[in-house]
This record gives sequence, C-alpha cells and structure tokens, in this order.
Amino acid sequence: MEEKHGMAKVIAIIPGLAFMVFTLYLLRTYVEPWMTTAVVFGQKGWFVQVLHLNYILLAIIAGMLYRNLLWAGKIPGWAEEGFRTTRLFIKSGVMMLGSLYTIQSLAKVGGVAIALIMSFVFGTILFVMYYGRVQKMDRSLIGVMAAACGVCGVSAAIATTPAVRAKPADVALAIATVLGFGIASMFISPFIGHMLHLSDYQFGAWVGTGILNSGQVLATCLAYNPTIAPGTAVAYGEIWNVVRVISIPFVVFFITMWYWRAEAEAEHITLVGIIKDKFPVFIIGFFAMTALSSLGMLGAEGSSTIQLMRTVMSWIFGLGLVGQGAYIDIRELKAAGGAPLKVGLAAGLIKYALALVVVLLFVSKETNF
Amino acid sequence: MSEPKKNAKMTVFKTDRHEDMAAMFFVTILVLSVLIYMAYIVPTIVLKAPMDGKMVAVTVQPEAQVKKGDLLYSLEIKEKKYVHDTLEEKLVVKEIRAKTNGKILSISAKPGDNVKKDKNEILVLKHEKGTLP
Repeated sequence: MEEKHGMAKVIAIIPGLAFMVFTLYLLRTYVEPWMTTAVVFGQKGWFVQVLHLNYILLAIIAGMLYRNLLWAGKIPGWAEEGFRTTRLFIKSGVMMLGSLYTIQSLAKVGGVAIALIMSFVFGTILFVMYYGRVQKMDRSLIGVMAAACGVCGVSAAIATTPAVRAKPADVALAIATVLGFGIASMFISPFIGHMLHLSDYQFGAWVGTGILNSGQVLATCLAYNPTIAPGTAVAYGEIWNVVRVISIPFVVFFITMWYWRAEAEAEHITLVGIIKDKFPVFIIGFFAMTALSSLGMLGAEGSSTIQLMRTVMSWIFGLGLVGQGAYIDIRELKAAGGAPLKVGLAAGLIKYALALVVVLLFVSKETNF
Repeated sequence: MSEPKKNAKMTVFKTDRHEDMAAMFFVTILVLSVLIYMAYIVPTIVLKAPMDGKMVAVTVQPEAQVKKGDLLYSLEIKEKKYVHDTLEEKLVVKEIRAKTNGKILSISAKPGDNVKKDKNEILVLKHEKGTLP
C-alpha cells in the first residue's frame, strides 16, 4: 500500500475509525442493554450473569469477527488506516487511567507490584533461557522468546530483535505464540476469578503479573469488573501493567547482555542508549495524570467531572479494543509451532498459574488503596 | 535501532515514539475539553444517586447556596468490605457533600425513598462558573 502523508493520511483514517466508533456505539447502546435483560435457558441476563459478557469483551469479539469472518483474514484497504489507530487509543486509555490514583495510593500498592513483577519477569526470562537451550533453540530465537514471554508479547520482542539479530520469522513466531496464549487467558481469566471469588485487588495483581500485553491486561480487568474507578480490578491491574511496561528497556538490556556473552562480534549497545531509544514515554503521561489527580485538578472523586472523564475513558478503551480484536488473525496464530510453541506455552502457563498461587497465598483480598 | 516492518503495520505513526507523543497530545486535548466543558459550558448538573440505597435525610433546600464540602444529603447503603479475607455486608450511612460552590435549583428525592445508582435524580445544582462540579 502506498504511504500517505499529511491530510491524505488523516482522511484515510476516517472510514476505519468511523466504523470502529459505529461498532462500539451499537454494542453499548443496543447489544449490551439487550444482554442484561435477555432470557436464555430460563435465566434473565444469562449472557451477563453466566458468560460475564460486557461491552469490553463484545468489542474484542466484534473486532475478531470482522477480521476473521467478514473480511476473511485481512482488514480491507478502506478501513486499514483507521484500525491502525488501535494502539493510540490503548496508550491514551492507559495514560488516562493515571487519574484513578493519587501519588500516595501509587506508593502504597507500587511496592508489592514492583516486587511481584520483577520476580516474575526475570524468573520467566531465566526459565526461557534454560528451557530454550534444552529444546536446542537458536540463541536469537531464545532472546526474542525470553523478551516476549518475560515482559511484553509485542513491544519487548520487537525491541530485542535488532540486538539479538533475530530473523523476522522468529519474531513473528514468538509474537504469535505469546499473543495466542494471551488471547486465551483474556477470555478464561474472568471465569477463574469469579470461580475463586478473587477480590478486584487480587484479580488485578494476578492478571497484571500473568498477562503480557497492555491491551489484554486492560480488557481482562474490565471484563472482570467494567467499572472504571479507584479500587476496581482495572485500577489495580494497571499499576502492575505500568511497572511491567517501565521494565521493558531493562529487560532488553539484560537479554542483549546475555546474547553478547557468546557473540563477540555483536553490535554493542549501552543501557542509556536503550532507555533513550526504547523508553515508553507515554508512561510519563500516566504519571502526569496521577500528579493532576493528586492536586485535585481533575475534579473531586465522585464529581460529575470525574464521571464524564471516566465515560470518555471507557469509550477510548472500547475503541482500542475493537481494534485489538481486529488485529487477532486466527491464521497468523497457526504460525506458532515447534520448540518455540513448547517453550512459550510452558513459560506462559507456569507464570500464569504461579502468579495465581502467589496472589492467593500472599495477596490479601482488601487493600487500603 | 531500525523499526521492524511488523511494527509499522500496526500504527499510523512513523515510530513508537511518535505514537507515544501523539497519545500524550490526544489525552491533553481530551482532558482539557472535559475540564473546560464542565467548568464553563455546563451551567447546571443533575446529581443522581451515586449508589443503590435509601435516602436518610436531605439537608439542603431549593434556592439554597452551598459551598464545596457542605452536606447535601445522606444515604443508607449496603457496604461490602473484606474483613480478614471474608466479604462482610453492613448498612452504613454515607454523607454526600457538595463538590463545588453553587445554588440548589430543585430537589427530587425525599427521606425514605429507595434510589438506584445512576438512575434516580436527587437534586439539580447550578455551579459557580469556572469550578468543576
């Protein structure tokens, strides 16, 4: 496709974006209210009570259906540019979530989040390095898989690629494996959470540790409890997510160092260089929102201003997640296979299950957030 | 480091850094729009029940001037709280206070009314221009 610039690019975005907005409008205005009253198997609101469906999960499912059924695996040209705004909305939503916290509340929960995330991130990386060697995987592929499984399915894998000189096919394989696992856990986790009667704090801590993609963490937390407010699953899960995202440059550096040990001629990059190049600066926006909220500049908790802000946020997430769904290509996921699939699944499952055990054993149901 | 092709496919921006900056700009515009709209464009606001409960008392009268922090009404609600990892429910009275200075235009709820979250209107408030209601 020809690269567009300036106004032409903005105009090219409109059809796809309008389609995303229209989809979300239909889901929130007609489908979700209908589901809360629809009687299935003699039970009123069966879709919500039993399947725990809400506009968040519906947005992802709609996106998946568009791509995989309606559009036969490829977003059509007229909608492509619009759907490429997906990450912009997810990042904007993450930033706005900063308004749910005050500096004091972040400091209170942040310590637990840092301890859990760091042990799980580096624990997973070491496991992938060990198990990848056992499976006789190529060192480049091990490096990309370690980044993908350890810290973030897409961002870290892509950030690590040049440093460990991975082949594009390896990167695609690693991303497919980890995203496939993430998609499954996105739909399963709310059921497990409800079954185990996890509190919002426990669910946020578990999902924030066990799932590796910002959009998937957001979607899973909102699927568990769609309320956007302090003390809800998304408020807790996001703290874990932010800590994980911040750790990306350090993980890239760690994996690069490991790779260099055996590759004397490899390109040498410094930690400062990696931070300068790869630090996710949108996180600064998250903390700026927390600072504004701490200073009371966004309105008082419970005010109409805050309510409107959260309604805007829920639309931003919804749009991002329609797009997120449309980036799930079932055929691409089939690319996952062989040793990388074994290593990715083992690392993902162990992390997911172990995080749940740790949360159940050591994280209390309530926190003074 | 060069941006791999895969990444370029998922964004309308040249690099992740451009996308991050655009997201920051977008959020700034959104937040400013909400704040300006609420502070200067919306003249009155309808306060609805913040949670399911029963009205206990309404402590303001129509036409009364209220200041930020003044008690508006109190609501008996069922509070769910984890105590030693067990979910406990108890009835508590929640005091709802004014979030900003303003004038009460009308009151629709009275003590004894059962109200539903975001459904039942409690009162209408005209807030001072430039404040966040």
